[in-house]
Amino acid sequence: MKKSVFLLLSICFAASAVLAAGPVKIGLMGPITGSWASEGQEMKQVLDVLVEELNAGGGVNGLKVQVMTEDDGGDPRTAALAAQRLATMDVTAVIGTYGSAITEATQNIYNETKIIQIVNGSTAIRLTEKGLKYFFRTCPRDDEQAKVAAGAIGKLGVKKLAILHDNSTYAKGLADETRGVLANEKGVEIVFFDSLTPKEQDYTTILTKMKAANPDFVFFTGYYGEAGLLLKQKREMGWDVSFMGGDATNNPDLVKAAGTDAATGFYFTSAPLPKDLPSKEAVEFVASFAKKYGNPPGSIYSVLAGDGFRVLTYAIAQTKTTDPDKLASYLYTELKDFPALSGKISFNEKGDRIGEVYKVYKINSEGEFILQP
Amino acid sequence: MKNRKLVVIAGSAAVLAAAPLFLDAYWTDVLNNIGIYAVLALSLNLIVGHAGLFNLGHAAFYAVGAYTAAILNTTYHIPVLALLPVCGFTSGLFALLAARPIIHLRGDYLCIVTIGIGEIVRIALINNIFGITGGDNGIFGISRPSVFGYVIRSPQQFFYLIWIFAGITVILFHLLEYSRVGRALNYLREDEVAAEGSGIDTAHYKLVALVLGAAWAGMAGNIYAAKMSIISPGSFSFWESVLMFAIVILGGAGSIPGVLLGAFLIIGMPEVFRQFASARMLIFGAAMVAMMIFRTQGLLPARPRKYRLAGLPSGGVET
Amino acid sequence: MHARELVSAAPGANAFVRIKDMELFAQQFTNGLAVGGVYALIALGYTMVYGVLKLINFAHSDLFTLGAYLGLTLITSWLFSGLGPLWGTALLALMVMGMIALMGALLDRVAYRPLRESPRLSAVVSALGASIFLQNAIMLIYGARNQVYPQNILPRMALSAFGFHIPLSRLLVLCASLAMMGALYFFIQKTRIGTAIRAAAIDQGAARLMGIDVNRVILMVFMIGPAMGGAAGLLVGLYYGQINFTMGWAYGSKAFTAAILGGIGNIPGAMVGGLLLGIIESLAAAYVSLAYKDAIAFLVLILILVLRPTGLLGERVAEKV
Repeated sequence: MKKSVFLLLSICFAASAVLAAGPVKIGLMGPITGSWASEGQEMKQVLDVLVEELNAGGGVNGLKVQVMTEDDGGDPRTAALAAQRLATMDVTAVIGTYGSAITEATQNIYNETKIIQIVNGSTAIRLTEKGLKYFFRTCPRDDEQAKVAAGAIGKLGVKKLAILHDNSTYAKGLADETRGVLANEKGVEIVFFDSLTPKEQDYTTILTKMKAANPDFVFFTGYYGEAGLLLKQKREMGWDVSFMGGDATNNPDLVKAAGTDAATGFYFTSAPLPKDLPSKEAVEFVASFAKKYGNPPGSIYSVLAGDGFRVLTYAIAQTKTTDPDKLASYLYTELKDFPALSGKISFNEKGDRIGEVYKVYKINSEGEFILQP
Repeated sequence: MKNRKLVVIAGSAAVLAAAPLFLDAYWTDVLNNIGIYAVLALSLNLIVGHAGLFNLGHAAFYAVGAYTAAILNTTYHIPVLALLPVCGFTSGLFALLAARPIIHLRGDYLCIVTIGIGEIVRIALINNIFGITGGDNGIFGISRPSVFGYVIRSPQQFFYLIWIFAGITVILFHLLEYSRVGRALNYLREDEVAAEGSGIDTAHYKLVALVLGAAWAGMAGNIYAAKMSIISPGSFSFWESVLMFAIVILGGAGSIPGVLLGAFLIIGMPEVFRQFASARMLIFGAAMVAMMIFRTQGLLPARPRKYRLAGLPSGGVET
Repeated sequence: MHARELVSAAPGANAFVRIKDMELFAQQFTNGLAVGGVYALIALGYTMVYGVLKLINFAHSDLFTLGAYLGLTLITSWLFSGLGPLWGTALLALMVMGMIALMGALLDRVAYRPLRESPRLSAVVSALGASIFLQNAIMLIYGARNQVYPQNILPRMALSAFGFHIPLSRLLVLCASLAMMGALYFFIQKTRIGTAIRAAAIDQGAARLMGIDVNRVILMVFMIGPAMGGAAGLLVGLYYGQINFTMGWAYGSKAFTAAILGGIGNIPGAMVGGLLLGIIESLAAAYVSLAYKDAIAFLVLILILVLRPTGLLGERVAEKV
């Protein structure tokens, strides 16, 4: 049985190799299944909308673009296999993925096979500190967001701060970085620093414990699901302290989960929402997405995946090639202030996104996200 | 009969050995994954199949081995392969300490306790216990294994490392099956009361099975860490334990060829089903149920033992 | 006047601190109690199935999740647009429990009944496979994103006394759980079918000899247990508001731990175990470590099993000879 399977596989592989050389292939690696399925599936949806529009307009360099999606299951081992698979499919570049530990498992594979990797949802600092030539990210790093968050906290005149994270790479990273920045700032005392368990529902115990520490502001660095529950339960407790979240809380479902009353007054840091961008592309994109799927994109990370795709296809069009070295060099040196959905994109020498991406938002009594000055 | 068996084994070994030559990196890596899970399942087979202990927390032993390798390698720069026995030792020791108080528990209780142990280990890893496990980020920069200066880096190279290790495991476990320990375990699984009555210290042998199985899982963890060069707690969840358990049962508990076949199917199947994207796991779940219903004893169940009795014409009595 | 205000006016900071500590303790205790009520409801399903069949029904937690999702589908459908909150919720509960009961029976028929005579390990794997299947089916049908219940069903008021603060809705959830548990207890103790279930749990063979239709008992068990779990799902959806296809895992493992804590197969045991586990979890989180609270819950379980293996109230399981 094993023998015939191998034979069949080899024939298929050979055949597919012969049939190649045609469209420009771009890989998408994301969590289509597993606990982050909502992110991965939305990433795919975003790319589907973009590639449809691109191909309708003639593709890139006269060739159609094809997106090859591979599931990384939200797990490093599956991701490594997904990466290997994409590496054999002749892709020029890969967009993804979500989750720093998962991305990290695939970095070496893409680097060794000279495939450009543009990450949309992995903010751990060390990913771009390894000197990998083909690695870029459209999402900023934890330290940048921490600076903005700390700045906002200082500006609000906070004296006693509670920081809550969910032990994930992203949330803990942001929490640690923020604590580090604030350590240098006199006047802000951190009275509580702990984590909750994600994907649960009852956070009253944690809220009670936090309340006992008497903070006058709370910074929660986890995801919108838990944030919504925290806000709702805090209100039920009768506690009226202000909360702020990181960009993972930026999701319209936050207001749905918390209820408009509880969500009023919630701050968060995030890349500018598409609705706040004056650019025609952003408005049009959100409209096309909503038309195809019935609702606008919910997660900022899927929008960042879309930006990775657009940056890449733009680079291919400009350099008129799919050669990874030329593309990498273009992205490093010549791509300046590219008008992406999430703002202007340029890359620094490490592959990180340059520029002040983060802004502070506040939710008003209508449940709308209002940009703060 | 025996000759035919040898031919089959030799034939499959030959095909396997030649596989990296005409498979691409991706499929070779799939075989690598299968290889690691085969070793893990064989180690679990010792516990579940031979000793009859429900262990749904095997990923904890796997994790202890992987993290031992990762921490010692990144902190003290000891070559990864040299750490193999150390990883086996720490996993085995961990199993001994964790299992000793609970070994006498009845089957299903032991099951839930093993789930608990698995979860405790995972939570400890995520919370960066003692400050050495790196939290959810895990540990990175684990060096590649090297054998006498030859560095193993590509999937093809790892293939031979993993499958040679798997081969050694199969041979050793096969020898164990027919050793005194193996016979004791078999007896214990068949009928614990009778075994005790025959003078077998069941608690002792159960512990032996657990420690050995854990030690082997620890070594598999070492190889995994070396292969991925980064490890994080996400790879050692309850789901992983379920996967290993499923391989053992689906393949046929107590049967080495069964377990190997199980590994091929369970790890290979989701890869073959990749084009179904989000329905992949749905099909996998349904397949698990179906396989159990239509072939309860597993695909290649363990054959009852045969012993040759001298002087009898028919050549064997089944026990 | 509020108790705290009275106290703060009193002399002696020590007294104030002590009472404040007690308030905190009481608050955390009640926090855990409500969560424990949900655990208890789910634990009932595990313990009933295990008692009669000695099977860990891993798919039970996914039936719980399904209950929450079905509740959402129903509540947002046209059926409920006209009904008031009281009758609407009652009807909703009945419908959800009924549907999940049917699902439970179906689950048994498809995944477990064919394996009745097989080694237990196979049934465990089948249970795991069924769980994976159900969870992914829910994901495919409802989507991977969190779903949210309409917010206006449960009352918004809260009770405040002696430093306690309990939202009325949370109290309602606790009362509903206790009421359902009470009804089940009554059913098991006082009705014929209930007695038959208990008999089958103690000794299937003898029960058969007494003329009890064990197959019917098993069917009942697979309907009542999941119905309780489905009701728990509905409660969770109504109260917490946000549901997710993976929520079964967290609740399920705690609930099963609770069932063992109370004594597997023992129905009052599951109730006690559930409430107790909720409280232990909350207190451990509040006083020991938030991050390790789940690990502590498991540790408590292991301790209980080492010190008192049959659980707090003693186990009642079928002995398969």
